[in-house]
Amino acid sequence: MERVILVRYTEIHLKGLNRPFFEQKLIENIRISLRGISCKVERKQGRIYVTGVAEDRFDEAIDRLKHVFGVYSISPALAVEKDWNCVCETAFSLMEKQVAEDPGLSFKVFARRSDKNYFMNSDQINRELGHEVLERFPSVHVDIHKPKVSLCVEIREKAYVYAEEIPCAKGMPVGTAGRAMLLISGGIDSPVAGYMMAKRGLFLSAVHFYSYPYTSERARDKVVELARLVSAYSGPIRLHLVPFTDIQMLIYDACPEKETTVIMRRLMMEIAERIAVSDGAKALITGEALGQVASQTLESLCVTDDAVSMPVFRPLIGFDKDDIMDYARRIGTYETSILPYEDCCTVFVPKHPVTRPVVEDIRASEAAVDFSELIEKAIENTEHIVVHPGDAKLI
Amino acid sequence: MIYFDNSATTVVSSEAAQTALRYMTQDFYNPAAAYSPAVAVERDVNSARARLASAFRAEPSELIFTSGGTESNNIALSGTLAPMREKCRIITTAVEHPSVYEPILALKSRGWDVVVLGVDTAGRVDAKELENALTENTGYVSIMHVNNEVGSVNDIDGLYRIVKAKAPNAVFHSDGVQAFMKLSPVKCDMYSFSGHKLHAPKGVGGLFVRKGVRFAGGQLGGGQENNLRSGTTNVPGIMALDTACTQYANNREANLQKMRAVKQRLYNDLSRLRDVRLNGPSVEEGVPYILNMSFLGVRGEVLLHSLMDKGLLVSTGSACAARHRGKNRILTAMGITGERQDGAIRFSFCPGNTAAEADAAAQMIEESLLVLRRFRRR
Repeated sequence: MERVILVRYTEIHLKGLNRPFFEQKLIENIRISLRGISCKVERKQGRIYVTGVAEDRFDEAIDRLKHVFGVYSISPALAVEKDWNCVCETAFSLMEKQVAEDPGLSFKVFARRSDKNYFMNSDQINRELGHEVLERFPSVHVDIHKPKVSLCVEIREKAYVYAEEIPCAKGMPVGTAGRAMLLISGGIDSPVAGYMMAKRGLFLSAVHFYSYPYTSERARDKVVELARLVSAYSGPIRLHLVPFTDIQMLIYDACPEKETTVIMRRLMMEIAERIAVSDGAKALITGEALGQVASQTLESLCVTDDAVSMPVFRPLIGFDKDDIMDYARRIGTYETSILPYEDCCTVFVPKHPVTRPVVEDIRASEAAVDFSELIEKAIENTEHIVVHPGDAKLI
Repeated sequence: MIYFDNSATTVVSSEAAQTALRYMTQDFYNPAAAYSPAVAVERDVNSARARLASAFRAEPSELIFTSGGTESNNIALSGTLAPMREKCRIITTAVEHPSVYEPILALKSRGWDVVVLGVDTAGRVDAKELENALTENTGYVSIMHVNNEVGSVNDIDGLYRIVKAKAPNAVFHSDGVQAFMKLSPVKCDMYSFSGHKLHAPKGVGGLFVRKGVRFAGGQLGGGQENNLRSGTTNVPGIMALDTACTQYANNREANLQKMRAVKQRLYNDLSRLRDVRLNGPSVEEGVPYILNMSFLGVRGEVLLHSLMDKGLLVSTGSACAARHRGKNRILTAMGITGERQDGAIRFSFCPGNTAAEADAAAQMIEESLLVLRRFRRR
């Protein structure tokens, strides 16, 4: 008897001729996520099997698989010989735990048979094994519509028996959709936005603007830590840290005060796009939600979009702040996001930013100042690091 | 780099570091062991205890070594309440260090009768208010000697008399972390101090417990510190503390004089700037080593980072609260709010600081303000 993990995947089924590409990428990502745990990952008949995991690392492997995008659910299963007695005994051992917790539980047997030479067909297995279980545990009953426990048996080259299905991250395998550049601030929203887009199969790069020396070293560490937390799902993130103080100073010196925020955001988008191009990213991602703050009104979003030609993905656009906070808690970034350090957006903020900017006005204000030299300098002085999920926790 | 954050911690004096090194690498024995090199170490620790106790006009048996201010403040409270049969009234102030304030708040939520005294605009407790709060069933009073953020001084001797007159059974504790060795010893039942504010290493401090006070002690185990605080004796820490305190005691007046001069100089320099306010007591009334000022129109944290870039290290308040978002509890209690609270910076000095450093610091502040105030909210 061997413990194996059965991995089910999601929408990949819908893909036509591209399917092998998606499956291959998923297997690759599963292997990366299980790095350090010796095991074998293989695909057979629409399933992925993880075998050979040492007993003491089995739970850790399950935990890591829960985070892999593209995995719909996993089941820890027992792989045994196809001998009928053996199948029954294995089923009993799984049922035993469940019955101890809830003696009156309902169950059903769900059999599949790819080995068509097996001496019973699926329906016969359902009935026979159901009968055996009822004999062994007289307190349980069968409910084929809403069973508490689905006792699954798959007859393949071996018999796989399992009774538990653990829901996983779902989504698409990271890397199947290309690469995009996340604008990460250190707040609650942007890590969630990055997570959501990685879940749709994107590789992530990220860009962060900081106002040294007016923001703390800890604010920088906080952003690196947030990227690290997201990378547990998305895989390694290429993080670009852009010194932004000089540009901010010039904006505040030379532009109308109420327009400073929107001009700052346009310049951030412009720099992000430039770095995205050299990093092979084809879209930008922001954590903006419509109407959340002055810079996120429809007019403001139009004006920021006007600064770039790449598509800008805003996966949180229709979310309430509460929902974003819940999401952040679920993926584990919330506690880090709320650490109280000043960031570049809080150091220089006008009291009354314009909420309905007009693109022609903003373009005119921006054109009146020559930012090009400072933008070049900022890009030149950008620090590039790669953040891995296994890096040490910074704060 | 100019270091004006000595209330957060101080540099360890090279003599204290030498002492610690000696007790780590040569006389490293566990003083509880039976062989003679260990007995020699035990004697050294006892001599150190005697010297430190006499500096506070206490008996050696009245001094318990701990890991520092937080532990001392914590066990003073828990060790006093432990033998009590019934819940009593506990009195403290709104401006205490978190290691006093938080445990008392936790007791409040568990049903203890807690009274938090307010303070005046200088950060001092009002004797009348304390007197009114005292009841027969008051069991514990904790009032800090020197406030760590603004440097105000409470008249502990006077407050102690009031407590003993109205609630003779109450235990009076004072957090002396910012005062020990710098100000004259005071009368109270329990007094906490910490080594790293006095050029000793971090991780060592003490709690004075006057004879006759019912005190159940802190952590349990091997029975060290007269069975009041178990744990292998921190010999290098204690001996370095002894060295640092002896140095401080030998130069006390000169030290205070030097720090007073630096504080006065910095205050004079900064008073010339526009939109600057002094927080807490007047320069003369406050301790000579803490100065808290607000720079209106800038945020303290932003100013702090700008100053760091120029070569001046200061803080926006207690380092122990730096990870918490929101309002500054201490300044709020003193009625300092809004723009004035946002722009508050604490300067804290040690005897090694100089008037030239004060002038340079003021210059850096002036330059930073010039840049940052351009971006103030209009």
